[in-house]
Amino acid sequence: MLKYLLVVLSESSAPFCYYEKKPRKNPKRDLLPLKSLKEAVIFALKNNLKVNFLYPDHKLDKAYNALIDEADHVKIVPFGLRKTYPDSILVIESDGFPAAGELRGLRDENIIFRLRKDDLGKLSSRLNLLLMKCKRINLVLMDIEAYGAEDFEQYRRQLETVSDKILKLSAKKDPPELSVLTDRLALDRMNNCSAGLKHLTVAPDGKLYLCPAFYYGRAGDTLGGIRNDTPIKNRQLLELKYSPICRICDAYHCRRCVFLNKKLTLEVNTPSSQQCRISHIEREASRLHLQKLKETGGNPVALADIPEIAYGDPFEIVETKKLSIADFKKL
Amino acid sequence: MPTKDPVKIEGKNTWEEGRSKSVTFIVTEDCQLRCKYCYLVGKNKSGRLEFDIAKRAIDYLLREREFITENSVVLDFIGGEPFIEVDLIDRVCDYFKARAFEENHPWFNSYRFSFSTNGLLYHDDRVQRYISKNKSHLSIQITIDGTRAKHDLQRVYPNGQGSYDDVVRNIPRWLEQFPDSSTKVTISSGDIPFIRESVLHLWKLGIKEVNINVVFENVWKPGDDERFEEQLVSLADEIIKKKLYESYSCSFFSKSLGQPYRDNMNWCGAGKMLAVDHLGNFYPCIRFVGFSLQNRAALMLGNCFDGIDRNRLRSFLTLDMASQSPAECLDCDVATGCAWCQGANYDSADTETIFQRTTYLCKMHKARVRANNYFWNKLSRKLHQDLRAQS
Repeated sequence: MLKYLLVVLSESSAPFCYYEKKPRKNPKRDLLPLKSLKEAVIFALKNNLKVNFLYPDHKLDKAYNALIDEADHVKIVPFGLRKTYPDSILVIESDGFPAAGELRGLRDENIIFRLRKDDLGKLSSRLNLLLMKCKRINLVLMDIEAYGAEDFEQYRRQLETVSDKILKLSAKKDPPELSVLTDRLALDRMNNCSAGLKHLTVAPDGKLYLCPAFYYGRAGDTLGGIRNDTPIKNRQLLELKYSPICRICDAYHCRRCVFLNKKLTLEVNTPSSQQCRISHIEREASRLHLQKLKETGGNPVALADIPEIAYGDPFEIVETKKLSIADFKKL
Repeated sequence: MPTKDPVKIEGKNTWEEGRSKSVTFIVTEDCQLRCKYCYLVGKNKSGRLEFDIAKRAIDYLLREREFITENSVVLDFIGGEPFIEVDLIDRVCDYFKARAFEENHPWFNSYRFSFSTNGLLYHDDRVQRYISKNKSHLSIQITIDGTRAKHDLQRVYPNGQGSYDDVVRNIPRWLEQFPDSSTKVTISSGDIPFIRESVLHLWKLGIKEVNINVVFENVWKPGDDERFEEQLVSLADEIIKKKLYESYSCSFFSKSLGQPYRDNMNWCGAGKMLAVDHLGNFYPCIRFVGFSLQNRAALMLGNCFDGIDRNRLRSFLTLDMASQSPAECLDCDVATGCAWCQGANYDSADTETIFQRTTYLCKMHKARVRANNYFWNKLSRKLHQDLRAQS
């Protein structure tokens, strides 16, 4: 069931996930037309959807602001506009990381941090800075298709360092959350992106897409105009049940990005090796983090342990865990 | 002492079935024929495999021992019509043998060269020389579709003329050289009235094993299933009456057919096998090559220069029955043996996916199951009665 709607207000809106935005042309011309914005807002109101607006890197005029204000919403905003739009989720890019002075003003913000592969070696130092200032950080690893064995190992080591930092901060009343490390602690089932199932996207062309990445990254993948009965062909393939790899997996925090799946494996329901390996590095880091938390008497003593496993990619165990038809029907 | 099963109707397994790596070299996209039911919709003269590309592909396959772990290999040469390029094939086979020997690769001691041919060039001296040279490692299947009427209905030259006479003249030599060979018969809507006579005709020609299948595409007309069932029942009667089950096989009849699903295995082996085209591109099978597809772009797994993209293989290697089948198929009481082709599914799916199974064959499969039940029930009773009479 749809729960929220993403509205990309401009071609230059801050990408908040794995995709790249298009080169900026004229910012005014790049905007989602007001008429389409109105349609999107009405669609959200009629369907009880919260809206996540993805803001461009410039201020919007009054007409846009007025329409946006008509619906319950969250603003996702480039870091540079944090003062214009307070109380927003801020997007920080690793290749434009703010200077220390710019971070000073942050107070318990919710951050999306997009890390380029080239900046992987700086992950822990960047996060250490952000963790001091933020309530929650959603980490997005960019360029994962180019990750190899050395990168995976580096990522593992970086998360280990970050885990130690969070443990130190855990003495605080509300320790900060890092999506890839702390989300898994409280999950007992898959909690993924769910594009197409829980949310749809209105792109700057006024049409619906599974998510912004399908607008930016795959021309022609539109679901059509904004309408109540949006047909998603083979929608079942977006569901966990129809993914032979994911349905046996317990890296519950994994994004299961259907765009990356499609891009790398050609199927929305099949994760790439890189996606699985990264999620399992995070799962293992979460497992060790939880162990340490329990040893130090931290808050989550009541949380269930994360079992130790011998594989780094559930693809390795698919054959042995294959469901019978009867078990498949029960899902 | 166990008695020998007199019923041979289910045929025999092929060489190293399920244990060998199957690699298909598409040596040409050209063919002398324009068979009306052929799934290769884009035949052309330009798509011809170069020796250097084949060499690179073989080098890659031999090099990837950790990834390609099978200890046996079937190099399948296909077209178009493969024997148009018999000289090239000969060089490719020689190269494979030499390289496998040099590499001390297990395939050197366990390989087959396999052909599906229209048989038109079988008598050609170059083809015969190639056969003499490689005979102990060869499996050749000449496609003859049955009676002249059935064969010439579909298997025609570009001018529309039937090819039956040009094929049938080569059958005796083929059977002399490969006595246990089988043929492959394809059934489309218009072929249904000829099924019974065609199977009997092929057996009479001396081809003891007839592998016969209906096409996967959506070609079926109302009433085809009933006509199909009538043909199979009539064939079953003849087989039992003349005890043909003791000597011949026909793949339409199988004891494993028509049960509810028990396991969740994929039907099709696409992705476990590999096809190589003239550009050195790798595909899950020939049905994913551009000239096999009507609605979609080719689906490549990589190429002989950069290797196989293992991410693209993941969906093929994890694809199971349940994830691609509609609920009605999973609940079907007579599901086993209901076939599909991953490439045909991909070509006609609503989205670019291999996870959407077509159900065009549903009625045809159910008709086949009924005829199959009829055959086995009737045969079982007859064998029982014969046994009682003997005792």
